[in-house]
Amino acid sequence: MTIQDLTTRLGEIAQGGATPPVTPTEGQPAAPVAPVLETDHAKRGTDLDVTVQPDRIQDAARIMDQGGYTLEAITGVDWIADKQYEVVYDFTSFASGKRVAVRTRVPRDIPALPSIHAIFPGANWHERETHDFFGIKFSGHPQLTPLLLPEDATFHPLRKDFGT
Amino acid sequence: MDEQTQVPPGLIHFAAMDQILDLARANSLWPMTFGLACCAIEMMATGAARFDMARFGCEVFRPSPRQSDVMIVCGTINKKMAPAVVTLYDQMPEPKWVIAMGNCAISGGPFVFPGQYNVVEGVDKLFPVDVYIPGCPPRPEALIEGFLELEKKLTGKRRWPVAKAQ
Amino acid sequence: MSIEGQTIHRETFVVNLGPQHPATHGVLRIKLTMDGEYIDDAEPVIGYGHRMHEKMGENRTYAKFLPNTARMDYVAAMFNTHGYVCAVERLAGITVPERAEYIRVVTAELNRLASHLLWAGAFLIDLGGFTPLLYTFDDREHILDLLESVTGARLTFCYYRFGGVCNDVDDQFVAGTREFIARLRSRMPMYHALITKNIIFRKRCEGIGIIPAETCRRYGATGPVVRGSGIAYDVRKAEPYSAYPQLNFNIPVYPEADCMARYLVRMDEMMESMRIIEQALDLMQPGPVMAEKVPKMLKPPKGDCYFNVESARGSFGVRAISDGTDKAYRLKLRSPCFSNMSLFQECSRGMLLADALALLGSLDLVIPDMDR
Repeated sequence: MTIQDLTTRLGEIAQGGATPPVTPTEGQPAAPVAPVLETDHAKRGTDLDVTVQPDRIQDAARIMDQGGYTLEAITGVDWIADKQYEVVYDFTSFASGKRVAVRTRVPRDIPALPSIHAIFPGANWHERETHDFFGIKFSGHPQLTPLLLPEDATFHPLRKDFGT
Repeated sequence: MDEQTQVPPGLIHFAAMDQILDLARANSLWPMTFGLACCAIEMMATGAARFDMARFGCEVFRPSPRQSDVMIVCGTINKKMAPAVVTLYDQMPEPKWVIAMGNCAISGGPFVFPGQYNVVEGVDKLFPVDVYIPGCPPRPEALIEGFLELEKKLTGKRRWPVAKAQ
Repeated sequence: MSIEGQTIHRETFVVNLGPQHPATHGVLRIKLTMDGEYIDDAEPVIGYGHRMHEKMGENRTYAKFLPNTARMDYVAAMFNTHGYVCAVERLAGITVPERAEYIRVVTAELNRLASHLLWAGAFLIDLGGFTPLLYTFDDREHILDLLESVTGARLTFCYYRFGGVCNDVDDQFVAGTREFIARLRSRMPMYHALITKNIIFRKRCEGIGIIPAETCRRYGATGPVVRGSGIAYDVRKAEPYSAYPQLNFNIPVYPEADCMARYLVRMDEMMESMRIIEQALDLMQPGPVMAEKVPKMLKPPKGDCYFNVESARGSFGVRAISDGTDKAYRLKLRSPCFSNMSLFQECSRGMLLADALALLGSLDLVIPDMDR
């Protein structure tokens, strides 16, 4: 699947998900950003930057799977000023070397997101790790227990308010 | 040293026999094959071709704690690993010695910062340590020096003259 | 299950492999559910080497995090530093002088050689052969001598800086590197005679530990693991960085997908690395090794970017998010071992335990890199 095809297909599900990929500081309004953004690989390291609503993340993963992409990483980010968690899924293609970042944001007080482990089994550990660090619940995940932290850990160390 | 870790003195002493035993022990210290992190690679290098720990009788790396005399704690111990390390120490038969290799095993090393949540700050928080080898990671020469220091602790004298700085 | 009308009760039992076990290359635990000698289920339990790198990335300045990167994948420390400095350079818009790029390629490829040599020795120990380790470590020590002369470290190199490298290499290093490559080239036939042609080694590797290409893709495996499964994916070619676009090299690919294929990929990669180093030394021109005007206190503009490099174990990625201050807002470190290990549970099902250890060894794991 070429980047153009992906832009079209991801554009269909990304409608209405216009959260800016970079958060502004408090008091400054964010400039509206298109949900599907073609980015310069040399500057951003990705060819496509897509923002979707949390409930469409499985659809996005399915499109990436059909496109022959592989899941490289899942990154959680705690935007504490916005009271949101951002989850970034990095996909790459073995065939073309293209890179796609799919982003979604969940509210900080109800951090829940559908799991994509059924589409990419590799996501299983990445989601567990994100749950470890941020406490984001991936619904439908078969085993959301601590992976890197001790078995009895109840804290989420990469939250910005951890330890305060 | 508290009472529990102190070896009770024997009723009868065989001074010469003890000395021979100590000499034998000092020249055949069997370390445990036990790598935690970066320092383990330097430990492997010490055992391999160039540095050749066999020269000092301590090349017999044993995978089982039951067969080893020395535990080289080479790397960071985190809270998940700490119970396993203590179990390994407890499984080693007496007499046993511990070498804390590298800054992580000494004090947590570079992984100590305010609010750290996962690293045990020094293996001596878990059990007694005989020799500390600083470095991040220590060079193989430093590990050999650590073994010589341990031998000195056992026999009371140093096997090798200290090299003078040139 | 029934044989001749009799019901046979299938009994499984649980065994712990690790966290202290020589074959796990450190502190990895595998919860094995065994059916006799065969593996019913092997669940890796990781985290015994978790050292909070991502947290530390957030609470210290960009420059102060540099030594940390070398302590993740300490067997191939150059690559982690390379990925990290490149990500920050991309974020801050720093251009690296050409000579520094070539020096980075030379030192990184030397590190790849050292890493693969160490792997070959350790893998053979997993399979029960001790001797090759002594040979590979002998060669590895020569590389460490070379790298020590420019970086000052034997293992945990902190050599790359934002905008270049901290020391220029001298003629002695260049001559020594050429001499070493000639030596290693002459020793490769010896390695093939000692290891590759060894019948016991072949019997333990050929057809053992099959990882289908599709499994690699679904789990996000990279590096020699995918190249041993017939996928010609290498970040150095797919997303060329540093001085790699100027260099001529091949990606060794083997379609067999077994342990032998992964072993051969790494052996061929060593030959390619030597070619790369020689070309880079030829092309290297005198010049500065640090970019001008790199501020001491780096404050990249707001934004985020991704950068990944081909480490000795696969694709090492860094997602750096800056909020405009001197510390990263979030630093995601994508380790190749993490994804490579996650396919173990699926691929080891039904294998003999001894064969599964060959598969485990062929994945080339560095546990603190996996756990970060």
